[in-house]
Parts: sequence; structure tokens; C-alpha cells
Amino acid sequence: MRYLLRRLRHGFLLLIGVSILAFLFAALAPGNYLDEMRLNPQLSPETVAALRAQYQLDRPLPVRYVAWLNSTIHGEMGFSFAYNSAVAPILIVRARNTLLLTSVSMFLAWAIALPLGVWSAERLGRLPDRLLSWGTATLLVIPDLPIALGLLVLAVKSGWLPSGGMTSVDYQALSPLNKLRDLAEHMFLPVMALVLSALPLLVRHVRAAVSEVLNAPFLLAAVGHGIPRRTLLYRYALPAAANPLISLFGISVGALLSGSLIIEIVMSWPGIGPLLLESILARDLYVVVGGVLFSTLFLVLGNLLSDVLLYFVDPRIRSESSAT
Amino acid sequence: MNRALNDNHDLHPILKVENLVKQYSRRNLASEREGVLALAGISFAIMPRTTVAVIGESGSGKSTLGLCVASLESPTSGRIWFEGKDVGELSQNERRQLRSQIQLIFQDPANSLNPRWNSLELLIEPLVLQRKINRDEMKRHAHSLLEQVGLPPEILERSPMEMSGGQRQRLAIARALALDPKLVILDEALSALDCSVQAQIANLLMELQINLGISYLFITHDLAMAAHLASEILVLDRGMLVEQGTTEKILRQPHDETTRRLLQSTPRMIRPAHPVWER
Amino acid sequence: MSARRSFANWLIFLCVLHGIVFCAGFFAPYDPAEQDRTSPYLPPMRLHFLDMQRHLHLWPFVYSLKLRAGTFDQYEEDISAPVALRFFVKGARYRLLGFLPCRLHAFGIENGRIYLLGSDAYGRDQLSRILYGGQVSLLAGLLGAGITLLIGTFIGALAGYYGGWRDEALMRIAELFLALPWLYLLFALRAFLPLAVGPLQAFFLIVIVIATVGWARPARMVRGVVLSAKKRDFVRAARGFGATDPYLLRRHILPATSSVLLTQAAILIPQYVLAEMTLSFLGLGVPEPMPSWGNLLSSLQQYSVLVSYWWMYLPAVVMVPFFLGYLGLASSLHQRGQPYKMESPALGA
Repeated sequence: MRYLLRRLRHGFLLLIGVSILAFLFAALAPGNYLDEMRLNPQLSPETVAALRAQYQLDRPLPVRYVAWLNSTIHGEMGFSFAYNSAVAPILIVRARNTLLLTSVSMFLAWAIALPLGVWSAERLGRLPDRLLSWGTATLLVIPDLPIALGLLVLAVKSGWLPSGGMTSVDYQALSPLNKLRDLAEHMFLPVMALVLSALPLLVRHVRAAVSEVLNAPFLLAAVGHGIPRRTLLYRYALPAAANPLISLFGISVGALLSGSLIIEIVMSWPGIGPLLLESILARDLYVVVGGVLFSTLFLVLGNLLSDVLLYFVDPRIRSESSAT
Repeated sequence: MNRALNDNHDLHPILKVENLVKQYSRRNLASEREGVLALAGISFAIMPRTTVAVIGESGSGKSTLGLCVASLESPTSGRIWFEGKDVGELSQNERRQLRSQIQLIFQDPANSLNPRWNSLELLIEPLVLQRKINRDEMKRHAHSLLEQVGLPPEILERSPMEMSGGQRQRLAIARALALDPKLVILDEALSALDCSVQAQIANLLMELQINLGISYLFITHDLAMAAHLASEILVLDRGMLVEQGTTEKILRQPHDETTRRLLQSTPRMIRPAHPVWER
Repeated sequence: MSARRSFANWLIFLCVLHGIVFCAGFFAPYDPAEQDRTSPYLPPMRLHFLDMQRHLHLWPFVYSLKLRAGTFDQYEEDISAPVALRFFVKGARYRLLGFLPCRLHAFGIENGRIYLLGSDAYGRDQLSRILYGGQVSLLAGLLGAGITLLIGTFIGALAGYYGGWRDEALMRIAELFLALPWLYLLFALRAFLPLAVGPLQAFFLIVIVIATVGWARPARMVRGVVLSAKKRDFVRAARGFGATDPYLLRRHILPATSSVLLTQAAILIPQYVLAEMTLSFLGLGVPEPMPSWGNLLSSLQQYSVLVSYWWMYLPAVVMVPFFLGYLGLASSLHQRGQPYKMESPALGA
């Protein structure tokens, strides 16, 4: 339990550290932000003055950071000059969409990769395994950008699936079941693109981890005891391979989040990705910091989840932690 | 250089260790810090031209002892005197000179000789580092070192990977001799070798001791070998010195439980006439 | 096949591919900036060996394209005018490998322009643009990877060798960099740098940005190698002979990192090429008119282009053999380090 609390504290400190890093990058921005704002016709002089007061925009960096921190604690996370509102409400909606996309993709990718990897590890070196290796190698060399674009072309040409956005125009008028269906239709392409880009590495790693366990002496001993195959695989081999697999899970979250950034943009999925791009082009400082922070939050949560899983699955960590 | 004739030094120990303590800290699987006490206060002395053996099981701290004496690890507390001078209070320059006086030979020559280098480079490295040599004399020195350990001169072109285990260890010994040390620490230097090769190398070491007047600190878990080579034995158990004395005394009247255990597990009989072994 | 042979094969394969791109001036029929406003979005011309009378020609030829009657954007082959392809023709001036002035091109045609891979909105030959664009993208990848490995090695060696507070501090910072999904970090860095700069400055800017993003993982790996090398007996032995720290690092420890660095290079280069492509695709990278694989794809963001002009998609396909080559290289390097494993996957982002 202490181990988990430590991991939690670690994650929190990481977030603080990343926010400082993001702010440091923001310090690289040339020119005085205040001047750029004054030139912005959308903002009235009173707003500019109010913002300057609230966020200390003409003060040095540490002061600005503290002001931003303060606003974050109050649930605002700074001000968006493009949207003319607090950052948090805009971000949260987008973050929810990204979370939806990435968690569905994670789940699907692992649901496919695990059995495929195990199946491949069982038949190591034989034809089905070699075919699968070829398949994953092929998929591996096609980066996510062409995959996303390719799927988009497919969608547009075939007309089967909507080629962008999250919901149809008449979404609100649909029945709950149809709402779900509509959402699924829109999600299909981005999820498929994400899953295809993540799948090859996952399958390879699962295969490697499981095959290493399958060669372990303790498993051969179990075979000698006459334990049936299915039990062997799922109650002996898989738990032993759990440690590297759970670490893989943590890493895959990061890769998937990065992938989601570009795929959301290409497929017009209203997540953090398109918002980030927009705000970069519009020099909307606080939105960029907020967006980056949210993506880090997801990554940290993903790693925390894998730490928790590791704690419950690996008895060594449990005993070492309780011994102190 | 023949120091065998010089009697004066025989009265004072070449090495004296007092209350040596070494503690390590490490991280375990749960990423927490914990302390490991490798040496818990060891004291002993080595006289010139003699061999002192340190025996114990794995984890007893004997390797750590060797590293500390060779100044490759700094002790947490305690003092070491070499030739009457306190090692801890030496200047930078004196410390460098000390390095050439105490040498450590490791257990696995495959590990202690950089596999990417060839023998010539390996042999002259200490000389190059101590700046005692110019490039012309390189080969000459290397040849004389090889001669001392009984290796053929063709070895110079080969890398350690292309030699047998015995040859490698001879090379390591030759390298250690390059700086003319007074004390050589052998950290399980024979343990990785085959039985027959062990005997050969042991004899070589004895020869070198007589010819060059070197003292040895012989670290091993092999009691038989220790008894064969050393005049004094120290027994270590989990970082503590549990027994100390001449070889005769240890073999005939072991006091400590650890020593007795080690004696009993020795497969080879050195003095089968002794009744105590029959227990 | 032994890992050594496999490594050599992949290396040769990659060298050939890179060679073609870096000699873009020779292989490309035209200057990439040369426009022909009368031929926008021409589809790729097909090479023929059989003419209309079903005679076999030994020399390939193409038909020039003309507008189909009644349409304003559909083309068809003008079979009345076959144009023979000629090899080793003299064409526009260029500088081979950046400094040798040359006029020789691999192929070309007498009159008119040949579009083997189609043309873009301004009538610029896509084949030429892809070849020249490859130079920019590949160079970004190679340079970026080189800088990252330099930074990573320096920091990793420092942290691993000296340990203590330096190690803690550096690894905490590395952790921060690793905590961000790398594309987000890339965007964040790019975000705050000037957006509207000239092509050359933009190129160097994004190379530096990309290189800064990825130093953490190589640094960690180098640190690991240094930590274990530091403990190896031959390092201890050398220290026993009086070796100083710089000596140990230079002669014993850093040479041990070579295989890790090589493997990292094989993984980072394609990743960095992809990073450049992603940035340029979104308008945050190398701007027009300098071609790069990324900004060549940016026209696909328009719906009409995506749907009607399939050949604009080709820059995305062109990078696949390069990725394959680097993946093969990384695999064979990994196998060299672990000769007993069946097949070890290269680790990704």
C-alpha cells in the first residue's frame, strides 16, 4: 500500500515538473505576449488589462507560473485568447474525447495482441508464426501517418463510413441506441488507425515475453506433471510473463497517445490533437500548456495503472514493499 | 628486482588493517534504499614476502576486503597502513605511486582483460598509465613480463578471447607484475581455472614470491588451496572476522563454527593423518 | 543467415536507397521548383513498350497527355504522339551532392515534360519533388539522430559514471522528458518557436527541436551501459594502475556503448524522419517552396485532392522501404547482441 502511495506522489510530482517544463518552453516564445494580445482585435482593452492583472503577464516567468498554478487550482487553467474563455472547460471536453478514443483503442489493441502473441509464441518458428511475423513487420514499417491517410481515402471512396468528426449533425435527436451506433461509426476509422499502428509492436513484445516464459524450466516441469495445455498457458505461463507485459502496457499508453495526436487531426476527431494544433498556430499559450499537461496526465495515469497491476500481480514487489 | 635478500623490512608488516568497515547502499525492486554491511570491522596484518589467506563463503565480504585494500573501494571507516604510511592521509601523487605497489588480480580474466584489446596493449597499459615507459621499450618490457609467467612471445598479437583460461590468467598476472608491486591481492584468482591449471598457476605464484619478494593476500573459498599457499589464514563470515591464526593452528584446532564447517566440506585432504579431519 | 551478413545486407540496401535520394539531381528529370501552370494535377504517365499496332519497342516510351474532350480536369493519353524516353540526357543545371556542378540526368524526353509520378497543383514534377524532398526529410532524420545521440551519450555517461546527485538530477529531468508522449513534446517545443521563418532556418530549427525531444531514452541506455562497464573488472584493473576518469571513459567505457548507440541510431532515424514529416504535413515544419516528404503530403488535407488525385499520396509510400531498411538494420543489430534469441523486436516510442 505504501508502494502505491509512493507511486501516486511520484506521478503528482511528475505532473508539476512537466508543467514547469512546459512553462519553460513557453519562455522561449519571442516577443512580448502582452503586445501580441494588444494587437488582437477580439480583445477589448479592459479584458487585456484584467488578464494582465490576473495572470501577471508582464512579470517574469516564475510569477506568471505561480499565477497560472493559482488559476489551475481554481479550476480555470489559464485563459484562452482564441476562445475568449477559461482554458479548462474547453480542454475537458476535448480530453474526454481523446480519452474515449485512446482507451477504446488500447483495449482493442491488447485484446487482439495478447491472444495473437500467445498463439504465435506457442508455435514459435513454425509457419503460422513466421507468417504473422511477416505481417507485423509489414505493418510496422508503415508509419501512422500513411495508415491514417490511407484509411481516410478508403472511407471517402467507399462512402461506408463517415470520414470525420465524432457525431453526425442530428446526433441529439437520435435514440440512445442509435446514438451509440452513430458514435461507433464515427469512431471506427480512428480506432482502426490507432490499433493498426500499435498492434505490430505489441504482438511482437507479447510473443517475445511469452516465448521466453514457455522455455522456462518451471513450465517444462509443469508439462511433465501432465497439466492440460489451456491451464498451462493461462494459469502458469501468462502470469509469469505478466511483469514485462505490464511494463509494456505502460509504454504502449505513451505511444498510443502520440499516435492519437496525429490521427485525431487527420480524421477530424475532436480531441486534444486538433485543439493543440489550432492553439499553436494561434499562439494561444495557456491552451498549449494545458493540452500538453492533459496528455501527460493520461500517460501518468496509464503508468500508475500498470504500477497497480504490477503490485497485485508480482509478489516480489508486494513483499519487498511490506518488508520496509 | 630481488628483494629477497633485504632483511630489514621483515620486522614490520607491509600491510596493516585496523577496524575496516564497508557499507553499501542499494535500491531493491520496490525502489527503496537499503544498506548492506559488507565488512563489519576487520583487523589484520601481512608481513613482507608472506602469504595471508582470507577464506569464507559467498557474501562473506572477502572480495570487498580485497577491493578496499587495493584502494578500488573506499572504506566507510577504519584505517589501512601500507609500509608504515596511513593510506587515508596520502596526497594525490603519493596515492598514484601507491597504486603501482599494490595490485589486484581478479577471478575471471575474461572479465578483467578488455576483450577488445590485444595482449600487447593489455600488458603495457599499466606502464603507459604510470608514464614509466616510452614506446620503444614497450615490446622489450612485454617480452620480459611474458617470460616471467611462462608465456610464449607470440601471445602478444592475440586477444584474450583467443587464449585458454590458464593463459589468460597468466597474462593477468604478467600485467599485475608490470609495475613491480610489493603486495598482490588474488581475488579468487585460481577459482575459475581447471584443477591441473590451478596447480600450475599456484606453483608459478610461489616461484614469483621467492624470486621477486612479493606478499600475497589470497582470497578464496577453497580452504585446501589456502592451506597450501598461505602461512596465515583469516576466516570471514558475513562481514566479520570469526577466526584468525597460522595455518597450522586453524587446521588443527578450529574454534569457530564457520571454520569447522569449511574444513568439513573440503574434499581434498591436506594432512590425512590428523584425527580432527575424520569427524 | 548470420547476423553479420544480415546487417551487411540491410546496410547495403539502405546505402543504395540513400544514394539515390542524395543524388537527386541526377535521378530527377527536373528542378523541383520548376512550374508548369498549364499542367496541374497530371496523373502519372505510363511507360509503354507496345505501341498501338502491337509492335514491341525495345525502348520505353510515353504518350503526352491531353485533356479529355468535354472535361476540364480529366486527362487521357494522346496516342498520336508517342515520345521516346531517353537516358542520360542533358538537362537543367544542378549540383551533385551539393557541390559538383553537373548537367547530366538519368532520363528525360525531347520535347515537353515527362511526369512519371504525376504533377501537383502548380505543374511541378512529383518525382523530382519526392527525390529532392527526400533529401530534406532524410537529412533531418540523420542530423537529428546524430545530435540526439551526442547529447544522450554525454548526459548518460556523466550520470552513469559519476553517479550521486548528478545522476539523480539528470535522470529526474530525463524522466520529465519521457513523461510526455513524444509527439506532444515535439509540438510543445515547436509551438513556442517562431512560426514564420525561411526554409533553411525552419529546417535547422526543427532539426534541433526534434533532436531535443529524444535525448532521454538514449541517455538512459548509455547510462546503463556505463554503470555496468564501470563495474567490470578491466575498468577496476585500469583504475588500479592509476587511470584517470577521462582515460577510463575514453578507452574502456565509451567504446562499450557503441553497439547501443548503433541500435538507437537505427531506431531514431526513421522516427525522426517521421517527426519531420508530421510537422511539415501540419505546416509546422519546413515551409514551401522547399520540398520535403511532409509538406508534399500537406495538399492531401484538402478533401478534393485526397479523393481525386491518388498520386499525391506517393510520398507516404516512398518512405516505407527506408523504414523497412532501418527496421532490418535494428533487428540484425539486436540479434548480434543476443545470438541465442529467435527474434528480438526493436523497441519503439
